[in-house]
Amino acid sequence: MPIQFAYHPGNVAHSSAPEVDETMRAACRSLGIGLVDLPGATSCGAGILGQVNRPLQATLNARTMSMAEDLGLDIITPCATTAATLYEDLNMLKSDLNMMSTVNTTLEKTTGRTLEGTVRIRHLLQVLVEDIGLETFSKKVKNPIRSKLAPYYGPNLQQDGLIGGDDVFDPWYLESIIESSGGIPVRYPSRTSSAGTPGLFSEEQTVLRQSATILSEAKAGGAKMLISACTLSHGVLDIYQGKASRSTGLNTNLPVVHLSEYVAFVTGNFPKRLAMLKTRLAVIGD
Amino acid sequence: MTIFSVYIEEGCITCDACEEAAPEVFEVTDDTCFIKSDVRLDGGFDRNDSKSALKKEAIQTLSDDIFDAADGCPVDVIIVVEAQADKEEKEVEAPVIEVEAAVDVGIAEEPLVVEGLDAFLSTGDRTLNIFFGSQSGNSEEFAAKLAKNAAQYGMEGVVHDMDGFDINSMASMKRVAIVCSTWGEGEMPDNAEALWQAAASESAPRMDGMSFTVLALGDTSYELFCQSGKDWDKRLEELGANRVVNRVDCDVDYEAPASLWAEEALTMLSATDDSGNLHEELIHAIRDLVSGGVSAVDGEDGFTLPDLSTEEVEVQLSVFRYDPHERTSGTDTWLCSLNGQTTLLDVLRSIQRTHDGSLCFTDGSPHDPCTALLVNGRVTLPGSTRIDRLSNGRPGPVMLTIEPLPGYDVLRDLCVDFDGLLKKRETASLWHVSRTREAVKSEQGIAIGLMEPFKAAELHSMANHPGPQVIHSCSDAVAYADSYLGPSVCLDLWVRRCDPRTSDKRISAIDAILAGADTILAETDMAPFGRQPLAGRDIQAALSSARTRALEVNGFNGRHGKHVWWYAWTLKSSGKVNDTVLYRQVLGPLGLLSNLSSGVTARMVTGFTRTGGKMVNDILALVAPPAGLGKMPRQFNKRVDKHHEVVSIFNSLDRRF
Repeated sequence: MPIQFAYHPGNVAHSSAPEVDETMRAACRSLGIGLVDLPGATSCGAGILGQVNRPLQATLNARTMSMAEDLGLDIITPCATTAATLYEDLNMLKSDLNMMSTVNTTLEKTTGRTLEGTVRIRHLLQVLVEDIGLETFSKKVKNPIRSKLAPYYGPNLQQDGLIGGDDVFDPWYLESIIESSGGIPVRYPSRTSSAGTPGLFSEEQTVLRQSATILSEAKAGGAKMLISACTLSHGVLDIYQGKASRSTGLNTNLPVVHLSEYVAFVTGNFPKRLAMLKTRLAVIGD
Repeated sequence: MTIFSVYIEEGCITCDACEEAAPEVFEVTDDTCFIKSDVRLDGGFDRNDSKSALKKEAIQTLSDDIFDAADGCPVDVIIVVEAQADKEEKEVEAPVIEVEAAVDVGIAEEPLVVEGLDAFLSTGDRTLNIFFGSQSGNSEEFAAKLAKNAAQYGMEGVVHDMDGFDINSMASMKRVAIVCSTWGEGEMPDNAEALWQAAASESAPRMDGMSFTVLALGDTSYELFCQSGKDWDKRLEELGANRVVNRVDCDVDYEAPASLWAEEALTMLSATDDSGNLHEELIHAIRDLVSGGVSAVDGEDGFTLPDLSTEEVEVQLSVFRYDPHERTSGTDTWLCSLNGQTTLLDVLRSIQRTHDGSLCFTDGSPHDPCTALLVNGRVTLPGSTRIDRLSNGRPGPVMLTIEPLPGYDVLRDLCVDFDGLLKKRETASLWHVSRTREAVKSEQGIAIGLMEPFKAAELHSMANHPGPQVIHSCSDAVAYADSYLGPSVCLDLWVRRCDPRTSDKRISAIDAILAGADTILAETDMAPFGRQPLAGRDIQAALSSARTRALEVNGFNGRHGKHVWWYAWTLKSSGKVNDTVLYRQVLGPLGLLSNLSSGVTARMVTGFTRTGGKMVNDILALVAPPAGLGKMPRQFNKRVDKHHEVVSIFNSLDRRF
């Protein structure tokens, strides 16, 4: 009997990061994780909507979470930002019953729904380690990547309470996934630091410096590829790495894949895509 | 009465009477009598002068024999220490522990069979709400540990800072554990004061359905030992809550008694159902489930009782080094075996004294923010951080990467220059300009201004941090944005702005500063504040509020404002964020052109290599900008199901979009 989750693909998996959604489905299929779509789920707001109107973001997310409650399932997402935003809003509502009541009043009036607060928010990484288990995971590995690989967590996922038994500042879940699939994890200082993605449009120079530090530290550690648990950061670290290198003078040329891509690869899905990634780097360069 | 410990005083005549009465506990040697290691939590084999607690199973099975031995000792040198929670603390020589369940808990009318444990542990609301009242961080740290261990008992531990918590929300909770320290002469910690006032008031709600227990932390050198915990314990009972485990009062060395309390509290709260009924028949099954057949001392549940005086931790310290004269930097690594209780600052002092006199760091008192360091990415006060607290519990040595605080110029090794921050604080004009306001006269005739308690508590929560030097470093962006004034300046400005004593003119001036490019809008990511223990959610929320105000002052113009505004707009339009619209509206044509020559567009064009999509879609990015990140995003989002609900929520809460 496969474990089942209500599936929230994250904010940009429908547009600029379709590979995350595509590989998430393949990886979960290979690992026996059942995904039940939430076709009515909205973007989580990513904390950006909260800057305009905090109750609005909480109400929209309460609507999404109530859909999962109707299914009797916890929510799984490959997106660290979505995991953190839903988790934060859920905790806020559970600890402030006045706010919960206000949100539910609006929700009931506009959608006929209410949120009970029983749903749990799980990131793919936590499910892999805590639900599937490293032993089971390693048995499912068909295409091990035996290289030095750099894990990247970002600050959203590394919040106390969100990551189960992992350590917020000295995490090992991603390292253990890499080890279980034949790789050698690289330890570098900025693996939990922010790439600055929320500020990409407005504070580009700062973000480029932040991203360049992460990539260059990973590369200095000997990494052949970086695996990101964060969807938004994975996009910036990949697409903007050349610009980051020009801006800072640091060596940033490094393939970047999302955790869901990596898991899909090692479990035998999309065998050609890794080679294509390497080719692209060779052609474009820094 | 429950035995806590037993020890042998001077004067044993080695008559063997005790060994005959309780051979599992006593062993008579040539000149005295020892307490056997098998029954002691510290595993020692001596007279037990340290009064180490006995193992629970020994207490359960051998109590009668121990009392018999003590009664039969002809020279009365066998001293039995009994646990008695309500006894005056000054009379007790060892930490007081009461591990028995309180007798007044409700008993379920229809007992569940043990085989139904899995069903019981997965039925209904299994939340354990853990409240901490903390001044120095010990209670908070222990509450987090308790929450982590709750999962083993089939509960979801949720930690609540008492600060700002609504008493009415607390009243509806089923399982509550309170971990509260006492400050000064019997006072509540600052973060617990407001909630306590609400709980102590006549208007406090009833808590009839709640099962609770209290861990009180304190210091016996103060007259009112553990008074805050006692107050909570008494008040919750008065409000109708059901105490499932007696309160435990802990002295400065709280780990051992607190661990025993935690084990018992988690067991009893786990065996209590939503209606507050205790299922006694499940208690042993829950203990077995958690221990897995392994004793508490041998287990790895986070609440084992190490020998605090001798436990050593293998540590690999990688310390950043910088020589300003040679202009060289690098890392020195030491592998050492240290007592787990040693603070990080003591370790650095020791290295400097015995291994490398040139190691440079800022020394000071435990809470001096100028001593702060970055340890594995965590902003840390080394004088108040024990080495064993930095362990992530994995096998092998504790790996510590120690770096200077980010966001400052490094003077040498771990020493940084705070002058830059001081200049930024001067730039922001953080001084207070007061408004005319209401006041009352004290008995001495001095006018004292008035402030609503909730407002005072709110201001206090925002200003309650170790120091601006520390908050400045909690930002991941500050080290990369030279002109950014930093979060500590922004926070202080925001506290001033929220202060009802500040004049209108000054508030306008602060608004103008906050809306500038070098203040809170220059912060690229708010998430790091929430995870740094020395900042936390309150500071994160305050900075977010400051940012919202800055965006409002700017009328949601500029790149920051447009980003937020169009994000919300696209969300209302389809239920999903639309990268294409954001890209076009925020960056504009010039911003898009700048990406052409920087490699960004090239990577977008070749996005198919990453996404597996069709190459032609990505090439469209060249001829039909704007493109998003990676693959050419769809120009229009498909709407989510029941999109009208999203629109309706927007229209109910915010009609600006």
